[in-house]
Amino acid sequence: MKTHEAARMSSLSAFAVLAVATTAQAEPKINMMHQWAQGSEAEAIAKLGEMFEAAGGSWEQTAISGHTSDMLAKLSSDIVAGNAPAAVQLKGPEIAEWSAVGTMANLDDVAAEQGWDDVVAPELVSVMKPDGNWVAAPMNIHRVNWLYSSAAILDELGLEVPTSWDEFNAACDEIMAAGHTCIAHGAADWSDTTTFDSVVYGMDIDLYREAFQNGDVEAMRGQGMIDAFAQLRKMVGYMDDGINGRSWEQSMTMTMTGEAAFFLMGDWTVASANLAGFKEGEDYLCNQTPVDWGGTGFILNADSVVFFGQEDADYVEGQKLLASTIMSPEFQVTFNVAKGSIPSRTDVDLSEGGFTGCQQQGLANLKASASEGTLVRSMAHNMTVPQKYRGAMMEVITEFVADDSITPEDAAEQLAEAVELQD
Amino acid sequence: MQKVMQPSLGERISRWTPQLVLVPTLAAAFVYVVIFSVWTLWISVSQSTLLPNMAYGGFGEYAALWKSKRWIVSYQNLFLFGALYVLGSLFVGTLLAILIDQRVRFESVWRTIFLYPLAISFIVTGTVWRWIFHPQTGVERALNDMGWLSANFDWITDRDMALYVVVFTGIWHASGFAMALILAGLRSVDGDLIKAAQIDGASMPRIYRKVVLPTIWPIFVAVTVVLLQFAIKTYDLVVALTQGGPGVATTVPAIVVYDLMFERGQIAQGAAAAVMILAALAIVLVPYVVWTSWRDRKQGAAHG
Amino acid sequence: MAENAQQAFDPLATGSRSRQLRSKSIVYALLCLFALLYLSPLLIILMNSYRPLAEIVREGFISGPEALSWRYWVEAWGSFCLAGSCEGVSRYFNNTLIMTVPATILSTAFGVVNGYALSKWRFRYDTWVFGLITLGVFLPAQMTLLPWAFVLGKIGLSNSLAGLVLVHTVQGVSFTTLFCRNYFVAVPDDLIKAARIDGAGFWRIFRRIMLPLSPPILIVCVIWQFTGIWNEFLYGAVLTSGSNQPITSAIVAFSGSGTGERHYNVEAASVIFAALPPLFIYIIGGKYFVRGLTSGAVK
Repeated sequence: MKTHEAARMSSLSAFAVLAVATTAQAEPKINMMHQWAQGSEAEAIAKLGEMFEAAGGSWEQTAISGHTSDMLAKLSSDIVAGNAPAAVQLKGPEIAEWSAVGTMANLDDVAAEQGWDDVVAPELVSVMKPDGNWVAAPMNIHRVNWLYSSAAILDELGLEVPTSWDEFNAACDEIMAAGHTCIAHGAADWSDTTTFDSVVYGMDIDLYREAFQNGDVEAMRGQGMIDAFAQLRKMVGYMDDGINGRSWEQSMTMTMTGEAAFFLMGDWTVASANLAGFKEGEDYLCNQTPVDWGGTGFILNADSVVFFGQEDADYVEGQKLLASTIMSPEFQVTFNVAKGSIPSRTDVDLSEGGFTGCQQQGLANLKASASEGTLVRSMAHNMTVPQKYRGAMMEVITEFVADDSITPEDAAEQLAEAVELQD
Repeated sequence: MQKVMQPSLGERISRWTPQLVLVPTLAAAFVYVVIFSVWTLWISVSQSTLLPNMAYGGFGEYAALWKSKRWIVSYQNLFLFGALYVLGSLFVGTLLAILIDQRVRFESVWRTIFLYPLAISFIVTGTVWRWIFHPQTGVERALNDMGWLSANFDWITDRDMALYVVVFTGIWHASGFAMALILAGLRSVDGDLIKAAQIDGASMPRIYRKVVLPTIWPIFVAVTVVLLQFAIKTYDLVVALTQGGPGVATTVPAIVVYDLMFERGQIAQGAAAAVMILAALAIVLVPYVVWTSWRDRKQGAAHG
Repeated sequence: MAENAQQAFDPLATGSRSRQLRSKSIVYALLCLFALLYLSPLLIILMNSYRPLAEIVREGFISGPEALSWRYWVEAWGSFCLAGSCEGVSRYFNNTLIMTVPATILSTAFGVVNGYALSKWRFRYDTWVFGLITLGVFLPAQMTLLPWAFVLGKIGLSNSLAGLVLVHTVQGVSFTTLFCRNYFVAVPDDLIKAARIDGAGFWRIFRRIMLPLSPPILIVCVIWQFTGIWNEFLYGAVLTSGSNQPITSAIVAFSGSGTGERHYNVEAASVIFAALPPLFIYIIGGKYFVRGLTSGAVK
């Protein structure tokens, strides 16, 4: 009897020890879904994987290239099939939208431990915490309103980089008269809207906030928007005939080889330019796009990783590990040097690690813009209004660029109607 | 010996074999065609946004859809592109089949040349033809470089002409398949009938029209169905070739469905668009079915 | 005997000799013109797979290579960095093979039996059954994606190549049944009646009569299915994950570059790798493809 009981006791306690040991040792693993299958971003994600594994995690990734809709299709399908992904590259208002329909993981512990609330740019924190807790980790900050100028053409004509839209138009008139294309552009809904973002923002920052950040339809049909469309129509006149079907990299190359004078695009241009061997200062200059209200302007775009609630303890651990890896200064430096953007942590020193002059300027501008109160998020890059409005707006804007017969008055009205239609 | 016996179980099963054999396919088709379509229909009147949501939401999505310029353009494009693509591919395919049927040499070479486009995915087809059509990288550029400076071939950047570029590329892709099936049909025509017609002095075009083409009618139908479904489902080709541009000039419904469902998180409206695509199909198919059964009944009555 | 009947009919043999010559030369001229048009994209892809990137960017796509270098081919197959691993497209190629071959075989097998049953064993409502199955070819992929994801999730096959095989088989059976049934309709019913009178049952007739007649349509089905499944992008990308992705995902990865340079030359080589299996099947199956139904049949 006694022996039997003793044996049972010891086996029970052995089980107890084993149980405790097993739950205490969830092996962090992750399968990260993202869009960067190729190029420097893919390398940067590979680095993330390496860091994750070095910290003891088991890394897998699913890269869905092509358009964002493909990755979103996979996201929806996975959730419908019952397998919400552990980590997904989502951004902006999508985070709030998905939070509303799905269960998200809660990263507040990790955030508190590592002090994220203190180091992440304020505009961004609210995006990552749609319901008050951290559900996403921001990977970078892109600036959308960069103006890249061809050093060659500016030198040839003795021009300065324009700082207001009037100066810009005057410069373009001169450049066109000298026989060069003024603006390099590849027409697509997102690139047309990127340009328009900068136009509206530069002309009237309050209009930008009301129309593009808050989605106010009255602002969209107002005179300010009509004027902005008029400016956009003028700018289309400064482009050449091949904008349809040209990629943004080709436009970039046009500018940096001196075929065109200006290129309006976000800071990912810098990464491409570096790869192609173009030199900052020699081939191209980087400045903010013209603003009529004097001051530092910054239109923000940020890539982030969102974490859906998981049942598997290994994935839960993996999510925490991935989130802290993403926020680590080491990853922030590696990733952002490769991508041309700046870290989402404002406490990283950009003078080391290989950041270019333009990137350092970007960080300085970010801080200045935040303190001046001119920092906004980008509508073109899906950081403000939900996709259903943004998509409708982009349709109107890209049609406007493609079709000369649409007047600015019509366009403004169409913009407002398109948004109203979605409700 | 009993002549009249109850059929055994084995015999009864074997009498039903044809139907039994079809059961798995029928079951799968029922789920795939009927249930998925009913689901789509329900979702189109539901409150679904980012994810499917079964709560009823009304027909508002259809109204919103038809007020969108992009949808209207895409629906028009569906009919225009569909008609040109199907008829064009049939025409080119028949022409090529007749040419090859003329007892030409190196038949396997011609056949492979016209068939191989089908082996290439639409994504690649669209990408390569875009390189060729774009004025700055393709034909216009090559002609300019060769000295013909005023050469102009920029249809793909032209709002009015871009759709025809898509049609052309689609025909390039699919006409080989049409050719192959029609050629097989041509070969299965009864040789005796043709000899009789030749003896009667009929010319070649007349022989084709009166003897050959009627015989290969079922093949024509199969090819038309195949081309039609390609036209309806066109997505990858347009995305790779023009991205639906310039502006929204070459958008097609499949693109709008996909975009609404996933990029814009408006699954209900996307489902409504999908239902409209099926409606377009019904507009084309229902008259055909009605006409066929009317014709069959007439023939049955005539022979009765 | 049937071969002779076909060879006896030469449409161009009507008329005088000079008219024959003129007709024949028109035919060849037209064929050559079309051939050039059809071949041009392939030639362009091929040329660009040998050219260095800087040259392509500088001179456009329609221009001959200055040197024939195979390095982009090697890079494409084994060392180009895609989606986190630098193994080129070989792994995706194998994934696609694993998925496409079973799905092709299964859908063709079902199709040929279904086509036989529907064309030679008439029963009530058989046209409706045929119609229901055929409707399956028209459903856009975008519409059926979410329902399929749901179904696969329920049966435990999500994110797996087996799940993809199921999806492609079910969708493919609609096509193969359509082709086979329309093909078998032309087989004379008398053949079947005679066999039934002799006491042959469903499967016997299938083995003895239908199968020997079916190589042309089997090849059509195989080519159609293999090509369609091999080149399909949406389901392949969405219903798999990580290292299971098919080769179409890899091809698309070349174009969605973000901030990278677009490596047109490696892309061109990869495109050719991706196109080789379907092309191969076309070349070897081509002659069955266009053979007439009645060659070899009992008349």
